[in-house]
Amino acid sequence: MTAADWPAWITHLPHFLDALLTGAVITVIVTVGGFIGSVVLGILFGAFSTSQSLLLRAVAHIYVEIFRGLPLLTVLFIIFFGLATIGIRLDPISAAITGFSINGGAYLSEVFRAGIQSIHKGQSEAALSVGMTRMMAFRYIILPQSIRVVLPPLANFAIGLLKDTSLASAVAAPEMMFNAGRLVSETFFATEIYLLVAALYLCMSLPLSLATRLLERRMARAHAQ
Amino acid sequence: MTLVEAQTLAAEWMPQLLVAAGYTMKMAAAAYIIGAVAGLFLALARRSERRVVSIPALVYIEFVRATPTLTQIFLIYFSLALVGIVLPAFEAAVIALGLHYAAYMAETYRAGIEAIHRGQHEAAQAIGMTRGETMRYIILPQSWRIILPPMGNSAISLLKDTSVASLISAPELMLRAHDLTSEYYMPMELYLTVGAMYLVMTYPLSLLVRRLERMAAKDHKAAGN
Repeated sequence: MTAADWPAWITHLPHFLDALLTGAVITVIVTVGGFIGSVVLGILFGAFSTSQSLLLRAVAHIYVEIFRGLPLLTVLFIIFFGLATIGIRLDPISAAITGFSINGGAYLSEVFRAGIQSIHKGQSEAALSVGMTRMMAFRYIILPQSIRVVLPPLANFAIGLLKDTSLASAVAAPEMMFNAGRLVSETFFATEIYLLVAALYLCMSLPLSLATRLLERRMARAHAQ
Repeated sequence: MTLVEAQTLAAEWMPQLLVAAGYTMKMAAAAYIIGAVAGLFLALARRSERRVVSIPALVYIEFVRATPTLTQIFLIYFSLALVGIVLPAFEAAVIALGLHYAAYMAETYRAGIEAIHRGQHEAAQAIGMTRGETMRYIILPQSWRIILPPMGNSAISLLKDTSVASLISAPELMLRAHDLTSEYYMPMELYLTVGAMYLVMTYPLSLLVRRLERMAAKDHKAAGN
């Protein structure tokens, strides 16, 4: 069999892989950026929603209710197209990271709230009684212990986020789906290219989900003891 | 923008956006039905003792859950066209979203079925029921209370995910907003309006889910668990 007999798309394969893997790097950057942003906002609003201040609780509640009810795509379009009309121009990658962070923060604040509330009240009382401020008690006593509870849902969130970054293609962030769209309009091998994209997402998300399952099992065992 | 201008714009946009929101709800409802039915069969296949049945179901569920919705929508829309099945974007989106949610709902059903104590299976079989009868008359009627809250959450996510169908130009709310944006160039106003419309659709559902969750928790307590 000579090269001429191969299906046409195979001869394009190096070109496809080159473009898709370049996109995959941006996918990873957006995922990591969005994850960090989501965790920061999640901890902040999670702390707000367990605070004693009614105002902070209300702020956290409104934030969560709004962003959990909005499609991610709408949030991305408001940030990318909407903000541009009032003079805040973000490049596609920053806009995507901002959108995923705000959206993910709403989801994770519920996770962190549950994590914080799972720590016995006696812990923060003990911390306060040894002279810690409320901030110190949160930072050094409550948060480190709640990590165990929030780790499995956090890992699941990361997997979801990785897949959701594909939506960044709609604001022209040059990630994997965006490059795939470009390749399709160049070569018309839609099925082959999107299957390849699916396989690449699989390669990124399966190790993550296996690690999550392992983590969940270990946590369950530690809990049982 | 003066108040009069805003009123004029609203009068021009709202009728179109409301029609589009109707399409969004139709798309979500149709995809939900496909997902709920196909998901049940997938869950039963996944639990089958015959490996020729359970392994393909497992592979399908894992593949769908590990790849982005957007990739699946593009794959189905463009691939079907290549094999000669030219579906309108709306129908393609319904099928893609339905098949996507089937995998998630299958896991919901499975969790519900597995939450029922083994003794129930054994007792049903001891009085001579077949596996099918056991499932139909004993297991499913008991597990629906566990299944309902996550099924409600799926309805909320599905409703939001229909926005992704705008990227294959399926007629729904986000596409209409996109089209109006290119006509009026007011992305901020339009996407905020559309965001509010999504909230109006998702918020009642999320209140319902919370009620279902409380009911399930009460049952759980009443059952002495």
